[in-house]
Amino acid sequence: MKNKMWNKTLIKATLAITLFALFIYNVKSQEVEQNPIDTLTTSVQKLQSDFILLKKLKIYGYVQAQFQTADSMGISSFAGGSFPINSDKRFMVRRGRLKAAYDNGLSLFVLQFDITEKGMGIKDAYMKITEPWMKAVSLTTGVFDRPFGFEISYSSSSRETPERTRLFQTIFPGERDLGAKITIQAPKTSKWNFLKIEGGLFNGTGGTASDFDYKKDFIGNIGINKTTKNEKINYAVRASYYNGGYRQPTKYIYNGFETLTNGNLGYSVDSTSTNKGKIAKREYIGADAQINIDFPFGLTSLRGEFIQGTQPGTSLTSASPSDAPTTDTYIRKFNGAYFYFLQNIMQTKHQFVLKYDWYDPNTNVSGDEIGKSGSKLNNNDLKYTTIGIGWVYRWDTNVKITAYYDFVKNETSKNLAGYTKDLKDNVFTLRIQYKF
Amino acid sequence: MKAKIKITTVLFLLSIISISTFSQILKIKGSDTVLPLSQKEAETYMKKNKSAKITVTGGGSGVGIAAFLNGSTDIAMASRKIKMSEKMKLQDAGKAYKEVVIANDALSVIVNPANKISQLTREQLEGIFTGKITNWKEVGGNDEKIVAYSRESSSGTFEFFKEHVLNNKNYGTAILMMPATGAVVQSVSQTKGAIGYVGFAYIEKNVKPLKISYDKGKTFIEPTVANAKTKLYPVVRPLYYYYLTKDAAKVKSLIDFILSTDGQKVVSEVGYISLK
Repeated sequence: MKNKMWNKTLIKATLAITLFALFIYNVKSQEVEQNPIDTLTTSVQKLQSDFILLKKLKIYGYVQAQFQTADSMGISSFAGGSFPINSDKRFMVRRGRLKAAYDNGLSLFVLQFDITEKGMGIKDAYMKITEPWMKAVSLTTGVFDRPFGFEISYSSSSRETPERTRLFQTIFPGERDLGAKITIQAPKTSKWNFLKIEGGLFNGTGGTASDFDYKKDFIGNIGINKTTKNEKINYAVRASYYNGGYRQPTKYIYNGFETLTNGNLGYSVDSTSTNKGKIAKREYIGADAQINIDFPFGLTSLRGEFIQGTQPGTSLTSASPSDAPTTDTYIRKFNGAYFYFLQNIMQTKHQFVLKYDWYDPNTNVSGDEIGKSGSKLNNNDLKYTTIGIGWVYRWDTNVKITAYYDFVKNETSKNLAGYTKDLKDNVFTLRIQYKF
Repeated sequence: MKAKIKITTVLFLLSIISISTFSQILKIKGSDTVLPLSQKEAETYMKKNKSAKITVTGGGSGVGIAAFLNGSTDIAMASRKIKMSEKMKLQDAGKAYKEVVIANDALSVIVNPANKISQLTREQLEGIFTGKITNWKEVGGNDEKIVAYSRESSSGTFEFFKEHVLNNKNYGTAILMMPATGAVVQSVSQTKGAIGYVGFAYIEKNVKPLKISYDKGKTFIEPTVANAKTKLYPVVRPLYYYYLTKDAAKVKSLIDFILSTDGQKVVSEVGYISLK
């Protein structure tokens, strides 16, 4: 009897403990278990917020590997730099770019490096801030493309020819400068979006070079870009202006021309003692236009740009300096232009390229006047014209192959040794580009 | 050991088969206007072709063409023509493409059914959506504030309406931008003083489509299939598919179906204007 009672008590206790344990387990389970949809929603929300953050950071890059062959050894060239003295063929990595951009909507940060066999350099380092009210005015500051014309800001990875023209490489070497600019352009949703105005102040030294004088250069442009309603024709025109200069290192300014005592035309020199330290004027005016037409036989593009102005330099070069000049100043009136004809072959991956450009560093003189005794005119005053013919093949989204031949023709002068006839300085370039 | 090798081989082959099956999924992305049509066409097509797998997602014409450019969709659906800038990007990426018109749409202006207004001129619509007209009494309605809804700027409908109805003028700052066409319909149906614009297939009983005049109020035309087909209704636009030439074989069967009599029947069922 006692045993029976004991057994019943034992069973009751076991049941109670089991029920209690089950209850505790159930409560605990309720605490930790979540609705699977809620769990999924939380995970998706977290992924979404991470994704939005990641989308702000963009990494771009491209590498251009190329083989070139020149008409003769050691030529001076604008097709990727002069050739070594004992070489007329070369492989090179022309550009190796890595660009990071963090775009936060109304603010943008950009850093771009160029890494090749020659070393590493900074190409872009700038920030852009847009006002939040109309979203039409923005400030860009740092190292970035000079806001002048079309060819400067047209990316080397998109350009159909291997290099920019001789004109741009001479007056805007490296394309970029240190400074700040204001851009006025209505948002894409506005009917005024077609109009763009840019203006800013720059060191004038180009690239990341530190400034060497007090003069800051103004660069500005105004342009329109429109597309017809049927989305078949896109056209753009723009006018650009550059006003700057740099400190004259000596009192000798070669500006203007006169007939010398020997009867030859030559530079006239101004040696007023107060010339030293004054600013040598650098002033350009430019106009450019582009038209793209969607024909049934393929997309056709025509581009043209003309620049003329006043360029200070030395007797040895008309190129814009990145370091403080130390020799006498030569002021030259110049002009130059380029024209592109680009034809996509139907809707294939092939494109035909034709380009013509010229650069006349000294429009006051020509031909045999250059090199005459006492004139101080030399090979840096010769006009160059270049005709380029090329073929572009877009292998896929990332890979582009370009074959391009530059026919370079220089002005000749019977009075200038080495330039009595056209130099053998044509260059063929075969380039493969990978871009992501 | 041999059994293990056999099992591994079978598993490997199965994984390859599953990967190849997965890669056969046809992706369609873009315009919210085209979305209901593409969904219905895909459903009908998949019923007839059991092995076919198609995914359709919206987002706007701009989103679809951007996805097309970066290779994340096989077909971009758009309620506007591809832009010149997009053509140039495609050329730069070495991508040849084809354009196909799959149907037409009568872009419709809708108001809340409680609104006594039943017709507006283009000029009045321009005034409303540019923010110059802000009260219904200015266009013959009740003394009530106008609440205008538009699609976002990534939408092809947004651009088409701006170009063809607003004469390229800017939308007013008070216009409410909605992320999807469905949201425009819902907002208009729930707001007494609301007005919006949608693709013809989005017209429901809980919204009222307006007659429109493009001759300064002389004649007002109702958005109907018949009026759109005879081009009497002034705001008719084509709906497009874009695909890469290299994908022609992959998309051909679906596009052939959409352009067929059966496919065009679906166009009419969904509420758009068939090509036939």
